[in-house]
Amino acid sequence: MIFNSLPFLFFISSVLLVFYAIPHRFRWVLMLFASYFFYGFWKIEYLSLISISTIIDYSSSRIIYESKKRLTRQLALAISLMTNLGLLFFFKYSNWFLSDLVDVFNLSLVDSANQWRSGLNIILPVGISFYTFQTISYTLDVYSSKIKPEKNIFKFALFVSYFPQLVAGPIERYSRLRNQLFTPIKLSGDNITFGLRLMLYGFFIKMCVADNIAPIVDQIFDQQQNASSAQLFSGMLLFGIQIFSDFHGYSLIAIGTARLFGVKLIDNFNSPYSATSIRDFWNRWHISLSTWFRDYLFIPLGGSRVNHLRLASNILIVFIISGIWHGANWTFVVWGAVHGTAYLAFQWSGLNKSKSLIGWVLTMIIVFLAWVFFRSDNIQSALDYIIRMSEFTEGSLQLVWNPIIASFIGLFLISDFIWQNGNIHSWLETKPSTWRWLIYAFLLYSILAHAGTVSHPFIYFQF
Amino acid sequence: MLVVMNWFYEKTSFKEYAYDNADQYFQINKVKNCELVYTSASSNFSQKTTEDKGKLSQYIGQFYPSLAMEAFNIPATHVGTHYKLLQSIPKENHVQTVICAVNLRSFGADWRHSELETALNKSLVMSPNRPVLLNRLLVSLNAYDNKSQEERAEQRMAEWSELTLPYEAPMNSVSNWCAVEKWGDWSNPKRQLADQFIKQYAFVVDDNNQRIKDLDKIVELAAERNWNLVLSILPENIDKADSLVGPKLINLMYSNSEWIKHRYEHLDHVKVLNNIAILSSQHFTDKDFPTEHYDEQGRKLIASYVAFALRKHHSKAFASPAWSTNLNFK
Repeated sequence: MIFNSLPFLFFISSVLLVFYAIPHRFRWVLMLFASYFFYGFWKIEYLSLISISTIIDYSSSRIIYESKKRLTRQLALAISLMTNLGLLFFFKYSNWFLSDLVDVFNLSLVDSANQWRSGLNIILPVGISFYTFQTISYTLDVYSSKIKPEKNIFKFALFVSYFPQLVAGPIERYSRLRNQLFTPIKLSGDNITFGLRLMLYGFFIKMCVADNIAPIVDQIFDQQQNASSAQLFSGMLLFGIQIFSDFHGYSLIAIGTARLFGVKLIDNFNSPYSATSIRDFWNRWHISLSTWFRDYLFIPLGGSRVNHLRLASNILIVFIISGIWHGANWTFVVWGAVHGTAYLAFQWSGLNKSKSLIGWVLTMIIVFLAWVFFRSDNIQSALDYIIRMSEFTEGSLQLVWNPIIASFIGLFLISDFIWQNGNIHSWLETKPSTWRWLIYAFLLYSILAHAGTVSHPFIYFQF
Repeated sequence: MLVVMNWFYEKTSFKEYAYDNADQYFQINKVKNCELVYTSASSNFSQKTTEDKGKLSQYIGQFYPSLAMEAFNIPATHVGTHYKLLQSIPKENHVQTVICAVNLRSFGADWRHSELETALNKSLVMSPNRPVLLNRLLVSLNAYDNKSQEERAEQRMAEWSELTLPYEAPMNSVSNWCAVEKWGDWSNPKRQLADQFIKQYAFVVDDNNQRIKDLDKIVELAAERNWNLVLSILPENIDKADSLVGPKLINLMYSNSEWIKHRYEHLDHVKVLNNIAILSSQHFTDKDFPTEHYDEQGRKLIASYVAFALRKHHSKAFASPAWSTNLNFK
């Protein structure tokens, strides 16, 4: 079930009504059923996968907590990690591994491997990268004694499958969600207003900005050999705006939905295109993933308390793995490597610490050029795109451009720069009620009358 | 607030959107003032750019010059689409008779699970008599059957591999039948065309076929609205099917069309014309794929069969056009 769909609107209304109508002690059970229904709505088979992950992680964490033997604890942790990463590898990376990697190393197994792969017809389950990371963080936190494991497996299952953030984050920590999910909550006007405002704005930027840009970006990237340099440049900028509005829109709907049930999720974005360095960008973009990599990969590798060479390799490792997390393609490896290398260059030049215009310009150039790799089907195609863009060539591609879309993009970017640390909720709080209702009416009308009509799922669902 | 928004949208942006994405909305408004309505797909018009431009529906209309007639003729549509269009005709209308072109090929898996279905379903969301802003929202929420190309291909392949045909192996499923060696290997165009004929016509129509359910709804709707209904089963290239694949395939084509005819012919307000075999191969303009695209003579022949059937309801308005005397019936 995707957020911008009719079934979701019925679903969320029904769950919300029942949630506040039943006694508190049954509410988490309702949310667990709702979450499994939400996920199973895509494919009922997905439920078995998330159940396996839940059972393994629950059992492992109990063993880790209760056992006094170091070896047993390590074994339980290894089982949990291997299961989660194994499932992720099997569903997300086995196709890539069997074709590209085997090709690269010129192994004779390629034909039989490809036959095996096509026979399996592996389909990536929605959200596997997100909930896998969420459960890994849980087991690692139990192992390092940061948290006590949950006693009730069904309550743990709710943490893993909590529907507002199940399929594309924000990736939450158990320490943040535990109390919120199981603490009594009263129907609160503040929560409902906050939630609905975020959802309304989230739907606006997903449906009016991202979904209207998507067909133009698709056209430019799919027919790049016919596009002029100016069109390719626009395509690069537009994809940067599309992926931001798409993912930010999704995150706002997720955060708003959770808030309707009294749960505060972590903010995932903080005006990333106003970043003045690569480090600043990653403090503002997909924050829940960046902090996950910091806490569970970068720091265990030694963090910044190592020599320069080791630090550089640690940073590159984190960025490349972050790239691979996004997708099974060399383009994501390059995307991660570009960010990692740029991060180091900024670090050594001191730009990571300064807040300068030159830093902003350089950051945006790198971020947007890297998006070309992120969006392209393969590295050659991305390189061709960039080369053609820099050659100032003419093209025959005809693009249909709508001034309404341009104004939506402008509004989105301007408001993002204005709000910075805040969001539409805190901004609206300072406005008189007439203004507030005019803004609601504008957002609602824009969604009803001018939302994109090409079926385009959230980009991050594929990860 | 929503009422004002709907009014504002209707006055400002709606028409532009509908022209670009759902022009049948305007056809519905034209059709409601006509006595005769013809629903069809590309079989209605010429595929050539020469002087051969008369539509099949226009030829029918020439038999009834005193009656207003309009046609829904949207390429790749079928009775499921036609039902939704007819349903969208406002309750207050002048329609007396609906002529529905029934394309046998559209009952098969290839068309039922066609990749064009998603676009068709999307364009139809704007048709129903609801606030236009609600229809527009439903389009952007993808509130229609919007399966991906891969999902539809999967459905097609699954149906073709089912052992549902009334023959012994290897003619017991479409996939098995296509695998049978005929006219040489796959590189032979004749072999390719023969397999296309099997894919299009090798099926057995029954109550569970989605197109039958759609036809049932059209029949019911016509009764509700007090319309006369003519179901015109379109001609197929029987000669070609016979020469390429043989009698087993054309037996299926005959039995399916007869099954449809028997299902509805007893109803008072329905007239079923089984025209499946009225045209010889020369009238089919496409030579490399089985279609219902006819030359001018072919369209005129079909039109005359339909026009004669309409005399039951509109005998006073009947007048033979001059060209009808020169037709060569099979």
